[in-house]
Amino acid sequence: MPTVIFQLPDGTERKVTAESGTALMQAAVSNGVEGIVAECGGNASCATCHVYVADAQCELVGPPNDVEDEMLDFTAAERRPTSRLSCQIQLSDALDGLVVHVPEEQV
Amino acid sequence: MSAPTTAAPGAPVVELDLAELRRDPYPAYAWLRRTAPLAWVPSVGRHLLTRYEDIVHAEKLPAVFSSREEGSLLLRTVGPNMLREDDPGHRRLRAAAEPPTRPRQVRDLWADAFERTAHELLDRIADRGEADLIADFAEPLVAANLALVLGLRTASAADVSDWSRAMMAANGNYADDPGIWLRAEQATRAIEEAVAEAADAVRGAPDGSVISSMVHAADPVSLTEIQNNVKVIIGGGVNEPRDVFGVGAWALLQRPEALEKVLKDPASWKRVFEETARWISPIGMYPRQLTQGYQIAGVTLPAGSRVALVIASGNRDESVFERADEFDLDRPHRPHLAFGGGPHFCMGAWVARHEVSAIAWPLVFSRLKGLRLAEGTTASDSGSAAGRLDGWVFRGLTSLNVTWHAP
Repeated sequence: MPTVIFQLPDGTERKVTAESGTALMQAAVSNGVEGIVAECGGNASCATCHVYVADAQCELVGPPNDVEDEMLDFTAAERRPTSRLSCQIQLSDALDGLVVHVPEEQV
Repeated sequence: MSAPTTAAPGAPVVELDLAELRRDPYPAYAWLRRTAPLAWVPSVGRHLLTRYEDIVHAEKLPAVFSSREEGSLLLRTVGPNMLREDDPGHRRLRAAAEPPTRPRQVRDLWADAFERTAHELLDRIADRGEADLIADFAEPLVAANLALVLGLRTASAADVSDWSRAMMAANGNYADDPGIWLRAEQATRAIEEAVAEAADAVRGAPDGSVISSMVHAADPVSLTEIQNNVKVIIGGGVNEPRDVFGVGAWALLQRPEALEKVLKDPASWKRVFEETARWISPIGMYPRQLTQGYQIAGVTLPAGSRVALVIASGNRDESVFERADEFDLDRPHRPHLAFGGGPHFCMGAWVARHEVSAIAWPLVFSRLKGLRLAEGTTASDSGSAAGRLDGWVFRGLTSLNVTWHAP
């Protein structure tokens, strides 16, 4: 079961473990990680589960899909090259130790 | 799944007067949140769930809080549709209809036409120096925009408004008024014809509209499914952006300091939109029906129980929004519930945000110089804008009379 670390805007960290195949957003919501709103429940239509993936892990996580790429243009916090929607990242053992930063604003 | 028509064992029973709820539901909601956050309300025939956290919890459990509601008036009005369907059936229809409403499509395909229409409507009234911004501007604007995004080429803004009104009346026709059913049937037949015609036209020539997107969906969608879902979108797609426009403009016209700040920082129109939708949510509640027994807000609801998720109440929950009854553009950002949540998150959210906050408000406030409310300002004045706020299932201003310095 991969473990991921959410770095929150206030500087604290939340470590969460989830089954492989779980969406990163779902892992956050199920564990009450503050700042991952996920209004649309994982359908890539609200852009409120935005995260910044740690620079060194971007390649490992991969690029956004087309729909996600579009939604990332409309996030409340600035889009960066490391931006992803956490609902579109499927956790796997390869992503064990993933670190993502939660932006200040989602809406 | 049978639908009990009485309170779940242990659920408090609260009598609410529907006329009072329409006039101003917020005092009743505040009382419910404090004393009975899940209450059976006989006049509504449902359990009302009124606290923010409980509503969010329910929205995240669509397998338990099902959108398939027995005896739904919406189903009777428009036939089977994605709003009263759960995944995967809902997802299939949503995926077919959604692409034209995504934010980049709104910006690239629709925004210029939205802006032209807004200018045309303002051209018509600019010299008058007075208008009802709901009837003369907001309603025709959002109806014309909706016809465009849906791909209803032969329908006028007035057609779309009339259809929407007829179906919304039927959707709330708890009194079973035959006249209301008849008008709704006439409207839905007219929509079916218009959709069939549009679907034929785009079969060989896709135009980026919702009807076109559904006609060409990878997972095939039948004409009846397109027709029924277009009906649902027309039902909600007029009043929601119209009401956010009206309430937000009204709120700012009463708060000159806030208005001045917004006019100096056009990016803040987005904040106006979100705060308006939180403060007076255009959709106040929507129904769910339990697929299994489930405990929420201290009550165990049996399978089949009907629940109303009262998002207008969640958006005034003091435990989440400090001084929740106030319209405050500077409040800390917290997600509101006005667009719903989970798989049914409002499909029109990006269209509404753009047409209202990027186009309608900025143009109205820049073109109509010296804009102010025409009504008297005392609370007892029956002509006041506050007296024209109406509704609890849907809530908005029925009129917004203003004056300005005509050129």
